[in-house]
Amino acid sequence: MSSGAVSAMRTGSRYGVGEGLEQDATSPAELSIPVGRWRPSRAAALALLVGLAVTAALALTSLGLYDRNENRLLGLRARELGLVLTAAVPSIQTPLASAAELADATGGDPQRFRAFMSSYVGPRRQFTSASLWPLGTSTLAPSLVVGRPPALASSQQRARALFTRAVHTKLLDVTGVLGTANASLGYEYSTPGLKRGFAVYAESPLPKDRRSRLSSDSAFSDLNYALYLGHSHRYDELLVTNMRRFPVRGRQASDVVPFGDNAFTVVVTPNGSLGGAFFQSLPWIIGIAGVLITLTAALMTDRLTRRRLYAEQLVGVLDRVAEENREMYTEQRSIAQTLQHALLPEALPEFAGLQVGARYVPAASGIDVGGDWYDIVAAGEGQVLAMIGDVSGHGLRAATTMASLRHAALAYAAQDHSPSSVLAKLADFVNSAPHDYFATMLCMLVDVGAHRLTVASAGHIAPLLIDGADSEGRFVQLDVNVPIGVIRESPYHEATVSVGPNSTLIAFTDGLVERRGEILDTGLDRLRDAATSQGLSLEDLMAKLAHDLTSEEHRDDTAIVGIRWQS
Amino acid sequence: MAELDDELATIVEIDTHLDPTGVQIVILAGELDSSNAASLQERMVAITAQHPQRLIFDLTGLRFMDSAGIAVLINTATQVDSVSVRSPSPIIRRVLETTGLSSVLVIEP
Repeated sequence: MSSGAVSAMRTGSRYGVGEGLEQDATSPAELSIPVGRWRPSRAAALALLVGLAVTAALALTSLGLYDRNENRLLGLRARELGLVLTAAVPSIQTPLASAAELADATGGDPQRFRAFMSSYVGPRRQFTSASLWPLGTSTLAPSLVVGRPPALASSQQRARALFTRAVHTKLLDVTGVLGTANASLGYEYSTPGLKRGFAVYAESPLPKDRRSRLSSDSAFSDLNYALYLGHSHRYDELLVTNMRRFPVRGRQASDVVPFGDNAFTVVVTPNGSLGGAFFQSLPWIIGIAGVLITLTAALMTDRLTRRRLYAEQLVGVLDRVAEENREMYTEQRSIAQTLQHALLPEALPEFAGLQVGARYVPAASGIDVGGDWYDIVAAGEGQVLAMIGDVSGHGLRAATTMASLRHAALAYAAQDHSPSSVLAKLADFVNSAPHDYFATMLCMLVDVGAHRLTVASAGHIAPLLIDGADSEGRFVQLDVNVPIGVIRESPYHEATVSVGPNSTLIAFTDGLVERRGEILDTGLDRLRDAATSQGLSLEDLMAKLAHDLTSEEHRDDTAIVGIRWQS
Repeated sequence: MAELDDELATIVEIDTHLDPTGVQIVILAGELDSSNAASLQERMVAITAQHPQRLIFDLTGLRFMDSAGIAVLINTATQVDSVSVRSPSPIIRRVLETTGLSSVLVIEP
């Protein structure tokens, strides 16, 4: 058997002889990759969970840091605004203090007071109204007014409360918010000391509806602010703001600035992110990037897991395929042998005075059929024609060629019993058409009664003749002519030999004697030694030869024909 | 199955050239059997298409040849007027003799 043919049969096996015999239950198509319901693998789910947890932790940490940073920055900004306000306080207190000292020194000289204060009073100046109030009188009223009449003057009770308080303090006194429509804030100052003849009072307007915007180029344009009088955040103490919603919600910081006997409280909220837009969006960036990375990692994990699973399944499938192939190989080998037997004679006829037997041994490995054949037929009264042949090559083609040669030879043998003419006619038959094979063949006419054997060979090894019961065997001497199928004008010669009583004739194909790396004569000697056995029946002798001379490694199929004269 | 292939795979080396006198030389080495005879047959088809007058198979390095190899030699012999076999090993020479081919292929020592 040839390895080329073996692999050809194997690769073609799915479409070959084996297919019709058994629909195999397991096929590679069974490799199942679930399509419809996608479920992530456990590793991928784990990667997803861990990734999302880490992302969430990072994003929350970043958010917390941002929050703390914003609060800190806002606190600093509130303090800065407070410092600015603190710096503004003297611009109110200084003119009033100077005026009070001037009034005390001049005994309340109206001319001097007016001349001093007029530069501070008026539109777009600190004050809308400044007035001089003599203290220690029964009725409280200003002795001199610069600018508008003070709003305080309309409330005797409020004025008394203010100036009574002023007597006991050394500082600037601040009224509450005065009026509603055009609200203003009033300040009083009297020089500390025993004299205390006069108090200076001034009023500043509050912006309309307390609303004032910070200019966009201000150092505090990134803030919203609300300025209250006193320490409270009450709306009725609101002096000025650029915020619209009260009470103030969200992130805020405040600072308190002392102002005379009172204080300002400034509340600020951020107008955007103080630390910058990048840090504001950092938690989002971390979150989105983390989710994307996590998803990618999970998908890749899933893919890798799936690939590994697929590879494992594939290995399983390949194992199954290999197993199937082994089974199919065994199966096809038996099919090949069945076919070979079908192409060979079913049973040999029986002949008076002659024992005949035949064996066919397929090659040890491989699934190919071979081209060996044999036939034993009656050829007239007391004569038997035995043929054995070997078509070159293997496989179905060799087998079908063999079958046609065998039947053609049988037909020619029916016409003419001469071995050489059977071979010549068969050679003409084969050469009449293009062909690329050849066959060796031995044709033997056995005359039972005359103990005579006539042999012709077309390239075939001569048969072994064991003359008598216990003589040593010898190969029949004959001319080996060209094989059938070799286009060459070449006659076939016959040799006729006499055989003794109880002689045994063994004809065979080269598989029985040919070994790789060994000269043919060694194989022929081995056969002769094995065949020269004492007292074996023909049947037992054939079985022994078939068993002993075809080793487990033999690559060629083998046919053996045995004939024994019974007398 | 792979072991089977390794076990059965045989290698034949084929080397062809024209000698100075225009004779086609085909040098075979290794083992020629049914597993690789087809590759030799292909080469021989290409060579015989050139219609050489004389062709020599140099079998000095060939250790084994079975009937498939002999078939290639015979097929070549039907295409070329003169085909010789040069230096076959005793084993192969014996095969050629027992196959009755010494009348078809000239065997040179």
